[in-house]
Amino acid sequence: MKARLAGACILALVAVTPAFAHRLDEYLQATTISLDKGHLHGLLRLTPGVAVFGKVLAEIDTNGDGAISQAEETAYADKVLTDLSLSADGKRLDPAIASYKFDKLELLKRGLGEIEIDFDATLPAGPPVRKLVFENHHQGRISAYLVNCLVPEYPIRVTGQSRTRNQSHYELDLSQEPPPVAAPTHGTGLLPWYSASALLVGIPFVWMRRRSGRRS
Amino acid sequence: MKDVSMKSACGVAALGLACTLAAVALSGYAPQPQPGTARIVSAADAFLATLTPDQRKRELFAFDDNEQRARWSNLPTGFVPRAGLSMGQLNVTQRSAAMALMAATLSPKGLEKVKEIVEGDEVLKQGSGGRDQNMFGKDLFYISILGTPSAKTPWMLQFGGHHLALNITIAGEQGILTPSLTGAQPALYTENGKTIRPLGAESDKGMALLNSFDETQRKQAILSFRVADLVLGPGQDGKTIVPEGLKASSMNAKQKAMLLDLISEWVGIVHEGAANARMKEIKAGLDETWFAWSGSTTVALGKNIAAYYRIQGPKLVIEYAPQRLGGDLSMHVHTIYRDPTNDYGRGVTGK
Repeated sequence: MKARLAGACILALVAVTPAFAHRLDEYLQATTISLDKGHLHGLLRLTPGVAVFGKVLAEIDTNGDGAISQAEETAYADKVLTDLSLSADGKRLDPAIASYKFDKLELLKRGLGEIEIDFDATLPAGPPVRKLVFENHHQGRISAYLVNCLVPEYPIRVTGQSRTRNQSHYELDLSQEPPPVAAPTHGTGLLPWYSASALLVGIPFVWMRRRSGRRS
Repeated sequence: MKDVSMKSACGVAALGLACTLAAVALSGYAPQPQPGTARIVSAADAFLATLTPDQRKRELFAFDDNEQRARWSNLPTGFVPRAGLSMGQLNVTQRSAAMALMAATLSPKGLEKVKEIVEGDEVLKQGSGGRDQNMFGKDLFYISILGTPSAKTPWMLQFGGHHLALNITIAGEQGILTPSLTGAQPALYTENGKTIRPLGAESDKGMALLNSFDETQRKQAILSFRVADLVLGPGQDGKTIVPEGLKASSMNAKQKAMLLDLISEWVGIVHEGAANARMKEIKAGLDETWFAWSGSTTVALGKNIAAYYRIQGPKLVIEYAPQRLGGDLSMHVHTIYRDPTNDYGRGVTGK
């Protein structure tokens, strides 16, 4: 390894580029949506880049003292939530914050920290085929958005997804299949029937053979 | 009489030995290497034997220590501290034993990839002009063992640092490499006049697969939106997102083979026996596996792609995500390899 390193040199591009290991000029906002019957849960992970952290901090640290208080955290989580919109079948949903967590300011400043916001919304009963729309307009100028849905449990199925190029607008097509009619399977379900049939055919057969055996 | 019987006994024994030797010669017998797990356990025991009692305490964790399992990241160890022993904390003998353990656990190709990632980080350290002595470099890669190395009882080997996190659960003859992260910055450098791209094959094979698609396939495979980072990176254990892109059932036989070859770049990091078993599993679910691409659909000769792609199957998630940190997307890459049904071997060990 030493010998290899002795000869190692960096290409010109790397040589003039500082060794960034952190997010730089974007505010990454990754949302994961999960669904179950009558309920939607969202997890929003926000990672401000170093170069844009000033803009983000200005919105969090409203008293400008250079620190983030509990009250400022709460207010910021609420602010983020107001920049989101959720609707199901054209009707607006009303998400509420379930919890939030801020990494230490030092980490956030370096582009390494994350702000996590969990939110919940009630999903009212609707038709078997449904459309869910999620929008994120928080800090649109500096943000890179990601949005995905976790594979839901049966009977909910995701039948389609579409997004705008920057993923600030996300549409989810859902189908909620009716519970299946219990049908006998080829496994253990038919076993009692096979057993009964075998007995019905087998018993007279054995009985007749015994009788004919006695006669001979 | 006694003499005669002794002679005949010796004759029979000699004949038997001759027959055995002849059979051995005909069968082309050679001493067989230890099977995968026995070889790894021997190497792990040999490594542990080189450590002081205090080092052993820092090196060993309980197999079901979930905090230690999840203590990995794409970030440098200065930002996200790892536990275990760093290469810089080991003397020459201990370091050599640690690398022997890695060599026993990984394939030759996997070991080479790991070395190139580690060396890339050393290059990054040199390139930072000494500013980041405690942030980057080959001394800041950690090794840790969860559980007791055994050929029968499950245990885990972790090796990682900046841009590398290998979590290898050994359960009998199984070697489960999920979740694991590979990355590279710089993703292209030269040493001794030779160009090194630690994740070059992942880039080239991904591009080749995309280029093999016809127009209809490309429309399905290429996403209309930008994917700025890994979706299922560190901290996202056990999650399965709704798959997107082109399903392998819509690929022809050659394209399916190309997809499997691409997947093998991650699967094949671990030793051959474990990799073969895993490839068999992935092959069984291949028709239900999806390939999605986002970003530039061209690449400059000899460079890495500046595009994101994802491979997702019933027991598989792979993401390749160029990073927009420091300018050139192709020079900084993160990748993740998961089995949401078996991350940290939970599907097999139940722990």
